[in-house]
Amino acid sequence: MKIQVTSEGDLHILELVGELDYHSSPELREKLNELASKQASKVLVDLKGVDYMDSSGIATFVEAFQKAKRYQGRLVLAELTDTVRGVFEIAKLESIFEISPTVIEARERLAVKA
Amino acid sequence: MMKKRFELASKSEVLSPFRKELRQLLGQAGWEKKSTEGILLAVDEALTNIIRHAYGGQPGTIVVLFEDDPAKTEIILEDLGKKFDPTTVPPPELPRQKPGGLGVHFIKTIMDRLVYDEAFKEGNRLHMIKLKSKNPKGEEVL
Repeated sequence: MKIQVTSEGDLHILELVGELDYHSSPELREKLNELASKQASKVLVDLKGVDYMDSSGIATFVEAFQKAKRYQGRLVLAELTDTVRGVFEIAKLESIFEISPTVIEARERLAVKA
Repeated sequence: MMKKRFELASKSEVLSPFRKELRQLLGQAGWEKKSTEGILLAVDEALTNIIRHAYGGQPGTIVVLFEDDPAKTEIILEDLGKKFDPTTVPPPELPRQKPGGLGVHFIKTIMDRLVYDEAFKEGNRLHMIKLKSKNPKGEEVL
């Protein structure tokens, strides 16, 4: 899994490429924990390059989401592939997370909504 | 009837290369993409449970038997680790807003039958079955 982190002011974008499983999720957890420790207010995760995700990936996002909620931070997931969306559906978590169809929409969502 | 046997080391690095092999086999067995991805996820979750819980991160061997016939695809996982019967795990409350606890739910949701072999004394043997067709009542056709 490749993870690229870019920051634009208070917006932090994580672009993920590859497979998110029990082997690769600790690396993502580390990056998200770094942002949570800085109380990053806006985090956008671009998932269009993720073609596989298991429950370890879901657990990583649930943990990051809960941490962000504690300090009123926001985590938006964008451009889920069909496979990744299917995993969120089985876990019935689509309604819990903020999910955007595109990165552009995710940026707008984070810019507008308080 | 197509049969294949794999022997995997109990470590997370094996998951991705094994998925590649399994994806290919499921394609040969005639599964379309969505079902293939589902079965891959279920098997991956079961393997992860063996690595994490049965072997507890310690070295060990996992045997995977892939068997395909016109009625079903069956994947059998064997390990020599600590006893763990996923069929007895109660369903989680959904949506689960705590990290973890979803792997067995994924396996049960995706596969049609899950059989834990009590007779396998040395460790765990789990049969994961996906039926190729179901009758109108949704019951198995074997």
